[in-house]
Amino acid sequence: MTVDQASSPAVGRPHPTAKAGRPRSAATRTGPSMTTRKHRAFYMFASPWIIGFSLLTIAPMAYALWLSFTTYDGISPHWHYVGLGNYRELMGDSVTWDALGRAGLFALLSVPLSIIAGLALAVLVNRPMKGRGLFRTLLYLPAVVPPVGAGIAFKNLFDQNSGAANGVLTFFGFDAIGWLADPYARYVLVMTVLWAAGNIMIISLAGLQDVPRELHEAARIDGASAWRTFRSITVPLLSPVLLFQTVTGVIASVQTIMPMLLAPMAGTGGLTTIPQSNYTYMIHVFSEYFALGRYGYASALLWVLFVLILIATGLIFRFTSGVVFYNVGPEAQK
Amino acid sequence: MHPRAGAPLSRRRFLALSATGAATGVAALGGCALQVSTGVSGAGETITVMAKADDLGPDLVKQAQKDTGIVIKRVDYDITKLIAMLTSGNPPDLVRGVGAVDAAFYAARDVMQELDSYFATSSVLRPDDLDPVNDLWRYDGKVQGKGPRYGMAKDFSQDSMYWYNTAAFDKKGVAYPSETEPITFEEWLDRAQHLVQRSKGQTTVFGGSYNGLVKLTLMATMTASAGGSLFAGDFSKVDFTTPEARKALAWYLDYCRLKVGPSAVLPDPNGWDGPTYQAGRMAMSNNGYWMGGMIGTDKKLAQVSRLAPAPVFAGGPRISACQGGTGMWMPRKSKNKDAAWRIFEWFFGEAPAKARASSGWGIPTLKSLRPLMPHQEDFQKRTLSAQQNELKHFSVVAVSPYISGDAFESLFNQVATPAMKGEMSVDRLAGRLNSVINEQIKRGKEQVG
Repeated sequence: MTVDQASSPAVGRPHPTAKAGRPRSAATRTGPSMTTRKHRAFYMFASPWIIGFSLLTIAPMAYALWLSFTTYDGISPHWHYVGLGNYRELMGDSVTWDALGRAGLFALLSVPLSIIAGLALAVLVNRPMKGRGLFRTLLYLPAVVPPVGAGIAFKNLFDQNSGAANGVLTFFGFDAIGWLADPYARYVLVMTVLWAAGNIMIISLAGLQDVPRELHEAARIDGASAWRTFRSITVPLLSPVLLFQTVTGVIASVQTIMPMLLAPMAGTGGLTTIPQSNYTYMIHVFSEYFALGRYGYASALLWVLFVLILIATGLIFRFTSGVVFYNVGPEAQK
Repeated sequence: MHPRAGAPLSRRRFLALSATGAATGVAALGGCALQVSTGVSGAGETITVMAKADDLGPDLVKQAQKDTGIVIKRVDYDITKLIAMLTSGNPPDLVRGVGAVDAAFYAARDVMQELDSYFATSSVLRPDDLDPVNDLWRYDGKVQGKGPRYGMAKDFSQDSMYWYNTAAFDKKGVAYPSETEPITFEEWLDRAQHLVQRSKGQTTVFGGSYNGLVKLTLMATMTASAGGSLFAGDFSKVDFTTPEARKALAWYLDYCRLKVGPSAVLPDPNGWDGPTYQAGRMAMSNNGYWMGGMIGTDKKLAQVSRLAPAPVFAGGPRISACQGGTGMWMPRKSKNKDAAWRIFEWFFGEAPAKARASSGWGIPTLKSLRPLMPHQEDFQKRTLSAQQNELKHFSVVAVSPYISGDAFESLFNQVATPAMKGEMSVDRLAGRLNSVINEQIKRGKEQVG
């Protein structure tokens, strides 16, 4: 039985208060029932998304899966079916695993740092102070800058010969650093993510404003310090928000193409100027697709990444199930 | 009445209907996608041209309609979009391409239209008027430079030449290179080392840039300059271990390692030499005649700029190839070939070609347009003289049809970066390059069949 049926027991049967002079016989009940109409309404509202999801997600994924069993290069007439050949090659491809390792390292660095930074900013702008709205706006602004613009700004900021970052270093008598080359390029990449931590801040801020004020007041009356209150009340109540940010952060960081935007050249040519420490998984995928024209192999790479992300998400949920606190009523927990 | 009529729509049934709807949608979208060009020739038609805005701006599109009656719908050049359009059977009618690296690659994959019959009957683009650079757009099924024509260059340069800034040379007391006789690559590098200016870890002035147009043509032409060939006779393999290819490779690695100019280990955020050279932050810039279009607009820069012949290797032949030959080609599945050819003729032989020839942004690809090259001012006279002298040494250096320029570039930089930093020997790198590039060529050969 559906929730609708449970809450409307009379649907489909004559209502006990129905007038005796107007029996609802089969002959007069020509229109669809209320339940049917509700179902239709539900599917009508849901169908744009389902059709969009089928056309723009399921169909391309299925196409990519098919491609992953071929040697197709996008234009040549003589491609052929290779079964699991691409997947077998992938298993022994050290470039692929190195790129995946770099993507993992980037996620390990960027996700915790950006969550901590976003949360710290949220705590800061959640306090009563003058110009709070202005600070919230200013801190959120970088998050609405298009990644391409951010890439150009960071490229110029960290250019070895004319960038402001080295301008500051040399002003204080230090030697300039090749920020956009190995081994520093990785840290510039992390900085671009931290710069846009306003996204995380805004979600954390919404979470913070949901924390009941009386809990903080009770803790203060009990003599708890600000840190203890934050650790024992705020963080547990924010844990679902933090879990959400962790999951989406990991997915986004593994799929990042920001290294491409930090490369001196745009397009496929830019691939060749990405320093090795920023040659992450998605850059490898892009390179295999559009530089090497290996559509089959690149599709296999994407499918493997999809499965790995599913596994990683599952593991995150599994390992955090004991520490995430869902603030719901006892009825909803049944 | 259907037994299920009036019953609630089950989720399973709904999903089945959705899938049917989605499939119908895909088919409908495919149908829409086929209706780009009209397939009717003559004035009033619309053709799709995939080009950059620099090649075909809104003014030229308007002019095309005025001159030919044909409406051009320009789509931005994008390799991913091009492949999608080719795959869907809905290609543009004309596509921008780099003759040196694209012609053999696409012709071998049978996606290009042979244009010989069009050239044979054209009064605008007569075969006897075509500059030899257009041979880059020929492919006979095995070798680039011979056989049917698949496209044409809009203008060209001899891309191994270089510009130099006399002010930078004066400042460091370095002798100017000759404008008629080539120096050796070793001498070029030696000058670059003297010209580079550094301060506190920053390169304030690059001694010189030497990256060619793309690595594929750079390595192929440098190996040819050393007297060898990068590719085997049938283009099915590269060999970086031959003495000539090794010499070219070793020189380029020295260039990167010494950090005298931009490279993968010392990137220039401008992405190309123009702005850096114009700012006086580059003493020598490996670009051909076409960069004179930019230099000529800056009087001060023009006064101190000289165009020099392509360097040579000691004992090697004097070769000065075009590494680009950017132009256009017509996809075999173009739906409107006659109208596309009319625009092709107009673009390469009529008003736009004349405007390009007189702008100084490249050498015209029709011999008859040569007199239009700028030659009034001192800078223009000097540059034209150096260029005309260099044209005697022009040659087409063929590359393999089995590997794209992007693929070569990507693999080269991926493997060679440690060697550019001095962390890998030339011989070890040559072996690694042979391995990864030949693997890609092998895959390409299988695709071509």
